[in-house]
Amino acid sequence: MILSYLDIIDRANNGPYISEDNWDLEKVAMTTMKIVEKYDLAWNPEEIVTDDPGLADTIFDAGLELAQTLGAYSRSTERIIEFEPGELELGMRLMPQTLVMGEGKDARTLYARRIMDERLPLVWAGNPGAPHPEELFVPAVLSWAQEPIVDMITCGTLVEVDGREVRTEDPIEIISTRRELQYLRQILRQVGRPGMGMLAAQSSVSELGDLATAHPDYLRPCDAHLVPMLNELKMDNRNVARAVNSLEYGMRNASLPCVIVGGLGGDAPGSAVVNVASFIISNLTCLSDYHLCHPIHMLHVATTTRSVLWVENIVQQAFARNAPCIIVSDIYPKSGACTRELLYETAANAIVITVSGGHLEGCGSADGNAPNGTGLEARLMGEVGHAVARQGVSLQEANALVLTLLEKYEHVFEMPNGNPGARIDQAYELQTMRPVPQWEQMYKEVKTELREMGLVTLT
Amino acid sequence: MANEQTYLEEVKLAIIDGDDKASAVATRDALQADVDPLAILNDGLMAGADVVGQRFERGIFFLPQLMLTGRALKAAMAIIEPRLQERYAEDGGNKADTGVVVMATVKTDIHDIGKNIVASMLTASGFQVHDLGVDVPIKRIIATAQEVNANLIGCSALLTTSMPFMRDLVDLLVAMGERQRFKVMVGGASVTPEFAEKIGADGTAQNAVKAVQLAQRLIRAQREQIGVSVR
Repeated sequence: MILSYLDIIDRANNGPYISEDNWDLEKVAMTTMKIVEKYDLAWNPEEIVTDDPGLADTIFDAGLELAQTLGAYSRSTERIIEFEPGELELGMRLMPQTLVMGEGKDARTLYARRIMDERLPLVWAGNPGAPHPEELFVPAVLSWAQEPIVDMITCGTLVEVDGREVRTEDPIEIISTRRELQYLRQILRQVGRPGMGMLAAQSSVSELGDLATAHPDYLRPCDAHLVPMLNELKMDNRNVARAVNSLEYGMRNASLPCVIVGGLGGDAPGSAVVNVASFIISNLTCLSDYHLCHPIHMLHVATTTRSVLWVENIVQQAFARNAPCIIVSDIYPKSGACTRELLYETAANAIVITVSGGHLEGCGSADGNAPNGTGLEARLMGEVGHAVARQGVSLQEANALVLTLLEKYEHVFEMPNGNPGARIDQAYELQTMRPVPQWEQMYKEVKTELREMGLVTLT
Repeated sequence: MANEQTYLEEVKLAIIDGDDKASAVATRDALQADVDPLAILNDGLMAGADVVGQRFERGIFFLPQLMLTGRALKAAMAIIEPRLQERYAEDGGNKADTGVVVMATVKTDIHDIGKNIVASMLTASGFQVHDLGVDVPIKRIIATAQEVNANLIGCSALLTTSMPFMRDLVDLLVAMGERQRFKVMVGGASVTPEFAEKIGADGTAQNAVKAVQLAQRLIRAQREQIGVSVR
């Protein structure tokens, strides 16, 4: 039998008590450490894209064991939400294999990708979480919504509306999130693709915005919203409310466990185990229609570090081989617009995701911490992903490409102030919505380099 | 019989191993062998914590090791603290650059990994840390700082839409006439030195190691201010 969501809420209210500190250290950290030791898990920083089916399977088994051993934790009630193994397995068997996003001629179908799948990954453009003042929000989203290669869009966060700062849990979150959706729908009409699917309601940290936009005029049932898990393997009532909000209305639930690589799971293998467990648990706690794979680096944040790329690779392969489902993986480079490194980071990340079985989402340029993302790197993300699939890049070839690219950008992690680059209004001519010449030139040069490296079908 | 260096090595190793039981035993053994409590603190506990901090920065150690070290330090500090107090009293109150810190992720924000790392590093550096957790109302942060007679308030927000509550905290301290009593550090992914300055905080740091250095500087400055006013 499958659980009713009310059963989940009951368990969150009545499960065994444990303090959060003990959950973190005694349960998550210690259990993961033991499991990593038991399965003898290790990673090789020179093998970012792995060609080792046995390792992918072992990571999956280890993650399943962690999910079965721990369950989830409710931060709101300080209770453990326990699951029977059969419930977790049924949750995995029921994971959607296809999912229509958007409507009409603009609809696209997400599907569970395979390792080295030659079908094209879908391209979901945008930078969730990146703070935007109101005047930059529309230009930023327009810059990627206008790209023909983009299949779905998402967006950053409005941090002010009508000159007033947005505060969490404040009624202004309702206004900011509705404003965000009004802008997004307006942009979709403007680019002639009104039915394009969205991942939105990003301007409200609390559940207020999510509740306030579950309406066909704002976030349609064919769109997606985030149902995050907290670090690690935790829920709270804010996020439970988001899952509940989709129950009858039918929005697509994107589970989002941002597992911290170097955090409670320890090094990359333990973090991959926690990520696998999080996806398995989120089928039930987040009612996931698809999973967002977005591990982040403990110190550098970006998804383009070696260890985080490795985790994205192995988690996707683990699911593709053992429990196929729809995984969309995030690209959050360290660098921002108008830097060559942003393009290298984007290309490396897109290669890893595409070849190991994911769809593409991004780019949260400059760590998603500034309005320094543009449509140009989203275009490159899609082009690289399509080229990888189209020419049937192997896992070993992908690894060689990624290692070459890492040499070109890895220095950004040593830069004391990061490599934030330029804001959207400095990177694009806002009148014409075209990249400024030097940014476009950089893009062309990097594409030439990528072709010379072996991505010969890059258009 | 073991010499002083051997006792200190045992303490240091227990901290590096993150073993709370071993650190308590090693600290007790060292005290019983008449090793100077300040030497135990600096050359045993802090020396071990330094190694852990360096390994964390270099990606050799990860958050669990940092948390275990914090736990081991806490166990050792509970044993050594009374002896240190006596020792400080003998030295005329010339305590090292440590103090009492109240830490919290501010109201509406539940992100705590960064704050936890800073708290662990501060603890590992000899600060007495009162960590109030996440989503903490600013009135409670201030009330706790008053109650424990803190030197420093450290508040954190990852979310840009929660950052305004850090300004509220500073404003409330000013309104209460308590601003001079507490140094205020702010942190979070989007927090910049400009933001810290704009809201009237005393500083921010890019990472946990720099946060400890900042806390030490602020404590020194605070003690100098008090010294000046006393004179």
